[in-house]
Amino acid sequence: MSDRLRTSLGTLTLDNPVINASGTFGYGFEYAGMVDVAKLGGVSVKGISLQPRPGNLPPRTVETPAGMLNSIGLANIGIDAFINEAMPKLRDLGVTVIVNTFASSVEDFAELAERLDPVEGLAALELNISCPNVHSGGMHFGISSSAAAEVTAAVRAVTGLPLMVKLSPEAGDICAVARGVEEAGADIITLINTLRGMVIDVDRRRPMLGEYTGGISGPAIKPLGVRMVYEVFQQVSVPVIGMGGIANLRDVLEYMMAGSAAVQVGTANYAEPGIGVRLIDELEAWCAERDIRSCELVGLAQQG
Amino acid sequence: MKYLRTRILEVLYPAPDHALLRFSAEPPIFAEPGEFVMVYGGWGAHPVLPRAFSLVESGRIGSILVKAIGPGTDWLAAMQKDHELAVFGPLGRGFDVDPEKTPVLVAGGVGVAPLLFLAERLAASGRRAIFLYGARSENDLPLAEDIAGVAELIVTTENGAVGEQGLITRPLQRVLAEHPGCQVYSCGPEGMLEAVAEVAAAAEAPCQVCLEAPMACGLGTCKGCAVMTTGGSYKYVCLDGPVFPAPEIYGTAP
Repeated sequence: MSDRLRTSLGTLTLDNPVINASGTFGYGFEYAGMVDVAKLGGVSVKGISLQPRPGNLPPRTVETPAGMLNSIGLANIGIDAFINEAMPKLRDLGVTVIVNTFASSVEDFAELAERLDPVEGLAALELNISCPNVHSGGMHFGISSSAAAEVTAAVRAVTGLPLMVKLSPEAGDICAVARGVEEAGADIITLINTLRGMVIDVDRRRPMLGEYTGGISGPAIKPLGVRMVYEVFQQVSVPVIGMGGIANLRDVLEYMMAGSAAVQVGTANYAEPGIGVRLIDELEAWCAERDIRSCELVGLAQQG
Repeated sequence: MKYLRTRILEVLYPAPDHALLRFSAEPPIFAEPGEFVMVYGGWGAHPVLPRAFSLVESGRIGSILVKAIGPGTDWLAAMQKDHELAVFGPLGRGFDVDPEKTPVLVAGGVGVAPLLFLAERLAASGRRAIFLYGARSENDLPLAEDIAGVAELIVTTENGAVGEQGLITRPLQRVLAEHPGCQVYSCGPEGMLEAVAEVAAAAEAPCQVCLEAPMACGLGTCKGCAVMTTGGSYKYVCLDGPVFPAPEIYGTAP
C-alpha cells in the first residue's frame, strides 16, 4: 500500500485514518485470524480502569432505530491484566494500540497515565471523559470545560504519549470543552461519545435496560457527530478525530470533509468485524481514482 | 473462526412465520450442538446489529431456524435461494454430553434448533434421545417431523391442538420418574428453562440450559450479554455459554 492514506495527527502518525473505536472491538487481539488488525490505522482498546470492573446490571444492550443503546458500564480487565496479558498479544500482532482509559477521579486518571507511559508499544492515550453509563466520573468530566481541562492537565503532566481526549455530545457547549482540553495540553480531540437514551419495554412496563438508560450509537447519531466535528474544527488548532455512526465510505468522507483528520468506527464493527479494513481499501481506491491524498480531504466542506 | 460470505442454498418454511435457512459454508463450519453463529443479512443502517442463532446443522452446509419477530428476523425470513448471508462462527460452548446417562432433550419454540442438532448427533452415535417439545399451539412446532426421525418425540401444546395439552414440565416429570439416570438438555424461553431446571433438580437429574441474551458482538468483546450467576459474578452468554449447568444460573440443586 502506498502512503496515500498516511495520517499525521501532531506527534502521532498513522498509516491510515481508520481507527476502531473503544468498546466496540475488545482489545483487538480477539479478532486476529478474522481481521487483519495490524492494517487498521489504530485500535482504541476497551476502556481500562485501575481495577477490573464487572459492568452494569443486564440487560445491557438493545437495538434502536438505526442504532443501539448500550449500558455496559466499562466492564474491563483492569490495568494490570491489560499491561501483562493484553499488551504482549497486541505487540505480537503489530497492532497500533491506542489505550483508552477511564477513572472516576483526576488522581486515578493521572495514575493510569503514569503507569501506562512506559509501556512498550503504545501509540497514544485516549481519555474517556464522556461515558454516560457509570455513576461516578465518566461524563461528569466531559460536560464541564473546567473539569475536562483539569483531567487533561493532570494527565499531560505525567505522560509523553500523544494525548487524545474523547468528548461527550452531552456537553452544553462542546466547543468550549474542546478549547479547554486543547489549552490543557491535549494533542488530539476525539468526538463524539454516545448520548443518553432510553427504551421502554411496554410489556413489562419498565425501562428495557437494567440501568434504565444507555448510550445511543450507530447511524442514528451520525449527523450530530458530523455537525460537532464541523464546529469544533473551527475552534481548535489540534487535529480532530470524528466518530458516530460511520458504516460506509461516504460516512468516512463526510466526517473528513467536516474536519476529521482521522475517524473511528464503532457500532458497525459488530455486523462486520472487518469493516475498518474494508474502509481503508475503499478510501485508498477512492483517493487513487482522484489522485489525491486522504489528508487533503480534511475540512474541505468548511465554508468561509 | 472466519467471517464468511455464504450463499443460501435453500429456504424451508417448517411452520408459519418460521424459516430454515440452509447456506453453503466454505470453509466449512464445524460446530458442536449448542454452539452458535452471528448472522448479518446486510440490512444496512437499520437494524444495525447482527443476530445470534444456534446452528441446526454444521459442516459444509450450515442452517439456522429463524422466527420472524422483528426487523432483523423479518429480513432473514424473507431471504431466498442464492442470496448472500454473512456468517461468523462457530461461537460459544455447546452441550457437554454425558455418554453414561439417558439424554432427555426439552425444547420450547425456536429453542428446538440446537436440540435437533444434538438429537441428530446422538442418533449418529447410536443413541436415541427422548425429546420433549413444548409449544403454545400447532403453529409453533417447527421441525417436529425431523425430530421424530431421530428421537422419541413427546409434544405438548398449551391449546391442546397437538400432543398432550399443557406445559412440557408435566411429561418431563413423568419421563424422569420412569427413567433413572437421565441428563436433561434444554433450550427455550427463560420461564420454561427455569421450570425445567427445577423439575430436573427435584428428580436429581443433571440439567444444562442453553440461554439467549441480547448480544452485539458474539465473541466476548462487547460485554453486552452478561448473565448473573448463582456465585454472584457475571458470565457472558456468548463466551462462557450459551450452554450453562442449570444450577449456575438458577441456583437449583446440582
